[in-house]
Amino acid sequence: MTAGQVALVATLALPALGAAAVALVPARADRAGRVLGTVFAALALVASLLIYRPDGGWFGYAPANRASAVRPWHELDLTWVPGLELRFHLGVDGISYPLVVLTTLLTLLCCAYTVGRSPGARPGRTLVALLLVIEVGVLGTFLALDLVLFFLFFEVVLLPMYAVIAGWGGDDPRAEAGAHRAAARKFVLYTLFGSVLMLVGVFTVVAAAGTADIVALTGGAGLSRPVQLAAFALLAIAFAVKSPLWPLHTWLPDAHTQAPTVGSVMLAGVLLKMGTYGLIRVAVGVAPEGARWAAPVLGVLAVAAIIVGALVCLAQTELKRLIAYSSVGHMGFVLLGVATLTATGLQAALIGNIAHGVITGLLFFLAGAIKDRFHTGALDDLGGLRERMPALSGLLGYAAIASLGLPGLAGFWGEAFAVVAALRRGGPLWTTLAVIAAVGGALTAAYFLRLLRRVTHGPASPVVAGAGGAPIAGVELAAWAPLVVLALAVGLVPTLVLGLAQGPVGALVEAVR
Amino acid sequence: MTEIGLPPINYGAITPMLILFGASCVGVFVEAFVPKAQRHLVQLVLSLGAITAALVTVVWQADTRTVTAGGAIAIDGPTLFLQGAILVLGVVSILLIGERSLERGGPFVAQAAIVVGSDADRNQTVRQPGATDIYPLSLFALTGMLLFVAANDLLTMFIGLEVLSLPLYLMCALARRRRLLSQEAALKYFMLGAYASAFFLFGLALVYGFTAGTPSGSGDNGGGVDFATIAAAVRNSEVSPALLYAGIALIAVGLLFKAAAAPFHVWTPDVYQGAPTPVTGFMAACTKVAAFGALLRVLHVAFGGASWAYTPVLGAVAALTMLVGAVLAVTQTDIKRLLAYSSVANAGYLLVGALAVNKQGLASTMFYLVAYGFTVLAGFAVVTLVRDADGEATHLSRWAGLGRRSPLFAGVFTFILLAFAGIPVTSGFTSKFAVFGAASGAGHTWLVVVGVLSSMILAFPYLRVVVMMWLSEPGESTPSVLVPGGLTAAALTIGVAATLVLGVAPESLLDLTNRAAEFVP
Amino acid sequence: MTTAQTVLAAGGAVSTGEAVTFWILAPLALLGAIGMVWARNAVHSALWLVLTMLCLGVFYVLQAGPFIGMVQIIVYTGAIMMLFLFVLMLVGRDSSDSLIETLRGQRVAAVALGLGFAALIGTGLFRALEGTSAVGLDAANANGNVQGIAKLLFTKYVFAFEVTSALLITAAVGAMVLAHVERRKGERLSQVEQMKARFAPGNYPGPKPGPGVFATSSSVATPGRLPDGTLTDGVHSQILPTRELTSSEAAPKGTEK
Repeated sequence: MTAGQVALVATLALPALGAAAVALVPARADRAGRVLGTVFAALALVASLLIYRPDGGWFGYAPANRASAVRPWHELDLTWVPGLELRFHLGVDGISYPLVVLTTLLTLLCCAYTVGRSPGARPGRTLVALLLVIEVGVLGTFLALDLVLFFLFFEVVLLPMYAVIAGWGGDDPRAEAGAHRAAARKFVLYTLFGSVLMLVGVFTVVAAAGTADIVALTGGAGLSRPVQLAAFALLAIAFAVKSPLWPLHTWLPDAHTQAPTVGSVMLAGVLLKMGTYGLIRVAVGVAPEGARWAAPVLGVLAVAAIIVGALVCLAQTELKRLIAYSSVGHMGFVLLGVATLTATGLQAALIGNIAHGVITGLLFFLAGAIKDRFHTGALDDLGGLRERMPALSGLLGYAAIASLGLPGLAGFWGEAFAVVAALRRGGPLWTTLAVIAAVGGALTAAYFLRLLRRVTHGPASPVVAGAGGAPIAGVELAAWAPLVVLALAVGLVPTLVLGLAQGPVGALVEAVR
Repeated sequence: MTEIGLPPINYGAITPMLILFGASCVGVFVEAFVPKAQRHLVQLVLSLGAITAALVTVVWQADTRTVTAGGAIAIDGPTLFLQGAILVLGVVSILLIGERSLERGGPFVAQAAIVVGSDADRNQTVRQPGATDIYPLSLFALTGMLLFVAANDLLTMFIGLEVLSLPLYLMCALARRRRLLSQEAALKYFMLGAYASAFFLFGLALVYGFTAGTPSGSGDNGGGVDFATIAAAVRNSEVSPALLYAGIALIAVGLLFKAAAAPFHVWTPDVYQGAPTPVTGFMAACTKVAAFGALLRVLHVAFGGASWAYTPVLGAVAALTMLVGAVLAVTQTDIKRLLAYSSVANAGYLLVGALAVNKQGLASTMFYLVAYGFTVLAGFAVVTLVRDADGEATHLSRWAGLGRRSPLFAGVFTFILLAFAGIPVTSGFTSKFAVFGAASGAGHTWLVVVGVLSSMILAFPYLRVVVMMWLSEPGESTPSVLVPGGLTAAALTIGVAATLVLGVAPESLLDLTNRAAEFVP
Repeated sequence: MTTAQTVLAAGGAVSTGEAVTFWILAPLALLGAIGMVWARNAVHSALWLVLTMLCLGVFYVLQAGPFIGMVQIIVYTGAIMMLFLFVLMLVGRDSSDSLIETLRGQRVAAVALGLGFAALIGTGLFRALEGTSAVGLDAANANGNVQGIAKLLFTKYVFAFEVTSALLITAAVGAMVLAHVERRKGERLSQVEQMKARFAPGNYPGPKPGPGVFATSSSVATPGRLPDGTLTDGVHSQILPTRELTSSEAAPKGTEK
């Protein structure tokens, strides 16, 4: 077993071990349990950083005997249940690596945040354990190179997330009592629906190809056109639910609004990425012919998501809900990038993913901080934050501007390149889509500026003036600082992500073409 | 006048049945001659010993592939595997049946003949030790099940069906508490079971008519009801196939009734609810294995050549079963009824596997049977633990907040429910995956779609129970969870461990089913 | 006689005699079956069933199965059904059917579905068997009917035949379990205790009047009366509630002449 394989397994095993360890901590040592979980999350981050393989070069590491589009840096292929085509096949390459690190980082931040701020009535250590289980599922999804294993990890996320929303959510005193339960149910219902389609898609592919190895399947090896069309349709809808793609997005605002702060961060920062990652790696990779067939539809839906997301945001009156809907728009850009099926588009999608994870994670942290202090998320009640808490409102401004895609910050590259990719694709349809998407980008700016005007500027509302407005705590700063730095770093040096992904994306586009 | 002689019988191959049959007869004698105080222990040891001995002989016979006793019994891979499965699940069921520490005198009534509600009845409910007749009865039922999956002609299969059913009817009536419900359940099961048997018999007669003119094993042209003759007739009989189709339909009714498939499932919730919980677990695990074992043999061996004729109809039955089970489970308020409807839905999933008439379908269905059997036994074991002064508290509202009262058992039950819902790393996922994979390989994609859709619906009642246990506050009426006695603890541990192991490392059992998945011709 | 019937049915052609017998007895068998379900009185039900079974027995004989026909008549009809009647008479006949439909429209649905099923099977079988003639009766009865059955029972189906013993044992155990009440030693009354209880103050030591005793009629359908003419529940049969008779019921039945 090479060092890389060890790191690969450690990345996955550490959070799992951590979850088990935290779950065993007795109730009176709640804080110790939370700290323990954070330690494990930190170890997982370290392990995930160790996976990086600079000598693999930008073009990845290709064993001589394999001419596949997926060339993992490290690979671990163990037999698990060959009877079900289930192999414990992990691997990491330039497409998945940034997402892996993003996941471990955000989980660590969320755990650390939970250490500092106890989530209230319910035990915090259980929340930490659930976060770690979610991390296992998400990491497994990103690392899996076996279709069945991929599905398996995809499913693992569902229940802990449900528990997080249903158990720790609903801190909004104005919402009726069962609102968080209803939101959690909605989340599960939608996601289960997606899983069902995905399972059928997986069956279709595995039955037709006789293997579930993503490495072997990428490029649509040997799948007939009808199978590819069916498989892509099933898988794409499944991932579209998770991403979420308009019009399958309606679970998202409720879930985000009702979830606790860390839940929202995980949901927006990491969980949504499973959908887009799956779309790129599995749906496009395994059924390229289906992808080409469905690309226009996907593109139109993506642009519709951008516009609808932006318009809905313009009308929102609640902070978390607004950020949630902004996710719909941002994921629209990501999907537009994927739909072009060009190298530029896929690159845009990947960097858009990372940027959205970082920025929206930060936004949800900030929204959580505001709601903690003023116990309301209504924009009408939050005016004049700048005067009471200049630092907090400054950070909010920074995050909002990053999110609306100011050049120099992370949000810019994904949106710009998605539009560029669509333009380069050419033809009346794609040009129109590119133009509309650009207009959508402008609308994004409009609603974020509206948000800033309402929240940070203007006269101080009675709520803001009246509340204590505790200063920003150290733990909060610690949780936010990495995200602030990353948003700037990715914005200034996009090759951090793009360079990693260049080789694999090029190979994928070659294989798909 | 020709001489007739006993056909050659491979006694080695039928030893498991003979052992159980002998042990049940001994059990009847024990009832008559052993003093009351020692009966329970003697019967328990006798039953466990007999089942273990039978299991040993099954394992010892593992490589036997033969047709014996004049062609009535086929001992082959599926037979031995299913017999082994029935016996292992039977051991676990007997552990549950034998538990006496949860309630004074065990879960069974002392004297079923005493009028419900009389003074004597109240007296026996709280004081007297339960009747031990349950042991020979369960051994008889197990004998019937072993015969049911081994039968190589329809007549022997019918006898097996009766031998396994009759004790079950009786066992349903023996609950210590809520005896009227229990007796009603037994009567209902008996009446409907008698109807189903009649259907089976009718179908048998029609199939016999269909084989007329087909040379049978004994050399004449009179046809027969052994599976080889039927298979030959399906291939090249000149009799109108209407007889065959009607025969298949009627035989299927009889078998699907036992398997609790819709629309022959209506007895399931009432009987599962009314019967004593250990017996319910026994029915849900062992009877299901036996019913599907027989169904597999009939569909694969006898009517395999006509699979194009029955697949659409039975496919519709499977789809209906899955949907009915899933949808009605959503509306249940009693945990035993909920598990009953889930058992109906699971019959649908099993049917999906059984309809894939190939090796993979056979293997995956057998795997599913074992995996489901362990999980359902563990589930009912937990149900026996949640009690208040009036016995088991089965109403779902009573389970609210159980996670606070007893995190361990609530956790175990959560795991079991997640296994039912088919969440990964439980046997529920691997078995469903195997069955659906086989169906999709056989080209029944629409059944797979219905299957996954219904399992999505079915996940909701389970999740509701989980949420209720963990996220509700315990109230005044939240019952206590008793610490299980040794036997229940053993059964629960075995069930949960099997559920976990078959979810994480199912390979060895999958291998075993694959190697066993071949009928003798 | 066995040979005669075998010849009658052999070759597949249906002789006139067989047809006539069938068309006479088949409606009767059906009538018996319907009557068995229809009758409110358990004894009547049993008697209707006897009719059906007798008809079936004749059918078996007609179709070259004299052994099974005779067994049907002797064992089923003669022994089992009579035993059944005995038990009914001993336990007392009670016709308290519940006439409340718990499921609305259940009867109508049951009748409709039943008729539909019968029609489906009936027409299906008719079409399938139209023009088919019976085969194999000669071969089956070549060495005699009883011998033929014996050969099957003790060769091909010997295992099934032996296993039916399990059924019988189960049935016996079941009957014991469901019907037998064990009295413990303490609960059993000795003869002395019984005698004392009988003559204890407040108890009426004499035999209770049977139904109809001292009544105006000796039918079991009339309630018991005490010597002074008052109605009483203290009669042996509990079937009939205490009630006043209407004048027509109370009128002399002509037995006093």
